[in-house]
Amino acid sequence: MAATPVTTAAPAEEEAARQGEEALERLMSADAPLYLSPSPELAKDARTASRYLFSSLVPFCPKPPLDSLLADDGFDAEQIWCQIDLLSRPLLSVLRRELNRLEREPPAPVPGSGLDVGVAGEAAEKERVMEDGEGDEEDGDESEGDEEEEEEEAEEDEDEGDEEEKEDEEGEAKGNQVEDKFLKIKELEEYLEMEEEKEYGRPERKGNKHEEEDEDDDDEEDAADAEEEDDLDLGDFDGDGDEETGTAENARYEDFFGGIKKKGLNKNGIVGKRKCSSNGIDFVDGLESTDMDIEENDDKGQKILSTHEKELKKLHSKIEQMEKANLEPKSWTMQGEVTAAKRPKNSALEVDLDFEHNVRPAPVITEEVTASLEDIIKKRIIEGHFDDVQRAPILPSKSPKDHKELDENKSKKSLAEIYEEEYAQKSGLAPAPLTVSDTFKNEASLLFKKLCSKLDALSHFHFAPKPVIEDMSIQVNVPALAMEEIAPVAVSDAAMLAPEEIFQGKGDIKEEAELTKAERKRRRGNKKRKFKAEMAKTTAKKAGQNVIPGSTNEKPRS
Amino acid sequence: MASSEATSSAMEIEKVAAAAPAAVLRPQFEALKPHDMSDGKVQFRKVGVPPHRYAPLKRCWMEIYTPIYEQMKIDIRMNLKARKVELKTRADTPDVSNLQKCADFVHAFMLGFDVADALALLRLDDLYVDSFEIKDVKTLRGEHLSRAIGRLSGKGGKTKFAIENSTRTRIVIADTKIHILGSFLNIKVARDSLCSLILGSPAGKVYSKLRAVTARLAEKY
Repeated sequence: MAATPVTTAAPAEEEAARQGEEALERLMSADAPLYLSPSPELAKDARTASRYLFSSLVPFCPKPPLDSLLADDGFDAEQIWCQIDLLSRPLLSVLRRELNRLEREPPAPVPGSGLDVGVAGEAAEKERVMEDGEGDEEDGDESEGDEEEEEEEAEEDEDEGDEEEKEDEEGEAKGNQVEDKFLKIKELEEYLEMEEEKEYGRPERKGNKHEEEDEDDDDEEDAADAEEEDDLDLGDFDGDGDEETGTAENARYEDFFGGIKKKGLNKNGIVGKRKCSSNGIDFVDGLESTDMDIEENDDKGQKILSTHEKELKKLHSKIEQMEKANLEPKSWTMQGEVTAAKRPKNSALEVDLDFEHNVRPAPVITEEVTASLEDIIKKRIIEGHFDDVQRAPILPSKSPKDHKELDENKSKKSLAEIYEEEYAQKSGLAPAPLTVSDTFKNEASLLFKKLCSKLDALSHFHFAPKPVIEDMSIQVNVPALAMEEIAPVAVSDAAMLAPEEIFQGKGDIKEEAELTKAERKRRRGNKKRKFKAEMAKTTAKKAGQNVIPGSTNEKPRS
Repeated sequence: MASSEATSSAMEIEKVAAAAPAAVLRPQFEALKPHDMSDGKVQFRKVGVPPHRYAPLKRCWMEIYTPIYEQMKIDIRMNLKARKVELKTRADTPDVSNLQKCADFVHAFMLGFDVADALALLRLDDLYVDSFEIKDVKTLRGEHLSRAIGRLSGKGGKTKFAIENSTRTRIVIADTKIHILGSFLNIKVARDSLCSLILGSPAGKVYSKLRAVTARLAEKY
């Protein structure tokens, strides 16, 4: 359809407006999936609709750049948007100024404005939806669409605010100026109080619910954008909440700080508050009431829980949670011995493990440490106390053998003598001969004894007798009595013997040469007699031996 | 009391002796003398005297005679014509083996041993005389033989004496014949060392072996 020139007369304008509305309606009625693929019909409708809207907004703008939107087929999406932007920027500033003015002079609220608000809200929604579709269709680019949405949302919110402000102004104006038979201030006040009671005390308002649900849907769309601003605006919200408690006596905690469930509501309130920046009681009340309404609707019981009950509920929920946790299998950190296969991969890296180190940590070498070591070394060197390994002394396991040397000389003893000596040693008749080492030992011990006696005599005053050196000097012919004889020390051994012990014999001793013949004969006769006597004895003995006991030879016992 | 008992026992014996001639007492005999064993016959031994031992025999006759006659109780005489020493048992010879011992003793003297050394034969039972020739060990001729003999003796006889002293034996090297007097084991040791000397081993080696062996032998006793 060709673009109708803007400068045509009013009926042409009306025709254009009608067409635009129709296009809007068509866009709205179109199925959502149709927007996904580009269709020329929808595009045409979109262009007409946008043209209509542009022309409708033109009168509000102080200096419109264009009288009508140029949105023919030849124009690009970018171009169309630029035109809209050119229009909307000064318009925004105008609207902001209006808002500020309204803030400074809030108009009186009008009771019959509730319906208008609802209608206006619906219209706004429609506009928004349409513009969303438009954005998607033309570009397929979400960013531009979002920007447009934001723009339109801002416009719409401002529109809402404007409308509500207007309503407020109307209300105020009514109360102050007009008081005729139809409207009495008192009645108005009573009515207002009733309404307030309803809002704060009694949670039964279904009309508002419907509105709020729609608003919630929108809010969920806006959630991403408005999240960041929540924290900042909570403070503002709380401040306003406190003001509210001061003013409304029946207000409760839930009204202001809401339940945990409806954060969206809070956001809605915050967003509305920021954008509108109106301190209109009704507006705020409306928001809070909506919050409260939704909370109460979502409560399981039909009454509000007390603090104690809330605590109990929390406790119960905690207990349930803990019991559930106990029944479930524990996390791997709480289990006893866990191998690598039983825990997730690389999970040990995340946990701060504590285990015993059997190795002492390496010492940190600092200057002080080295200085102390050097001091120790110096001290040791001065003392001469080193940790040298000393060779262990070899303990003699056996006594050193005396090796018999090979004697290469002719032996002085005959074989018979050698065996004789051996036999004597074995039987014990003769003592064992001293070995060479023994003689040496004896000699050494003797020397030492002599030395010791001399040293003792020199070193101390008390008398030590001369050591007794045992000699094997055999004194021949000394009877036992003589050995024990107490003789003076000076007497020699030779003198100890008595003359009889030296010589045994009788009478004169004469040599053979000195003897006379008679004496020689006498001696021989003595010898013979002795010999005969001995012979007789021996023969008698032998005769005695030959006698068998019990035989006839035996001499009878007497 | 004791005397009464003794008299009573004596009386009993007399009674018994008188009463029972049928009960014969067990006869108790003395050990037989060697004279009686050979039914009163006398045993002889004759030991020939080699010419080179004639003069030494004359010289040492009394030393030989005295122990034989006095202690062993064997009659001994020298048959000058036959150049033999004759030995005869007497009636009062105490032991049968005395004659043989005396014969061995005389024979050992004839081989060349000293009387004192040979006397050990008389005193000890377990001494023997072992003889062998050099040619039994190894066939050596001429110079080798002479050298072997020299090796056996050593310088001034020191090797021979060393062996004698270490093994408690007595060795006689008579030209090519070697006689060893001693106990069985000692003879063996001496013989081994002599054989090794004959075969050619140096004296030092023999000494070392001897030392080891004698240490072992000494430990035993």
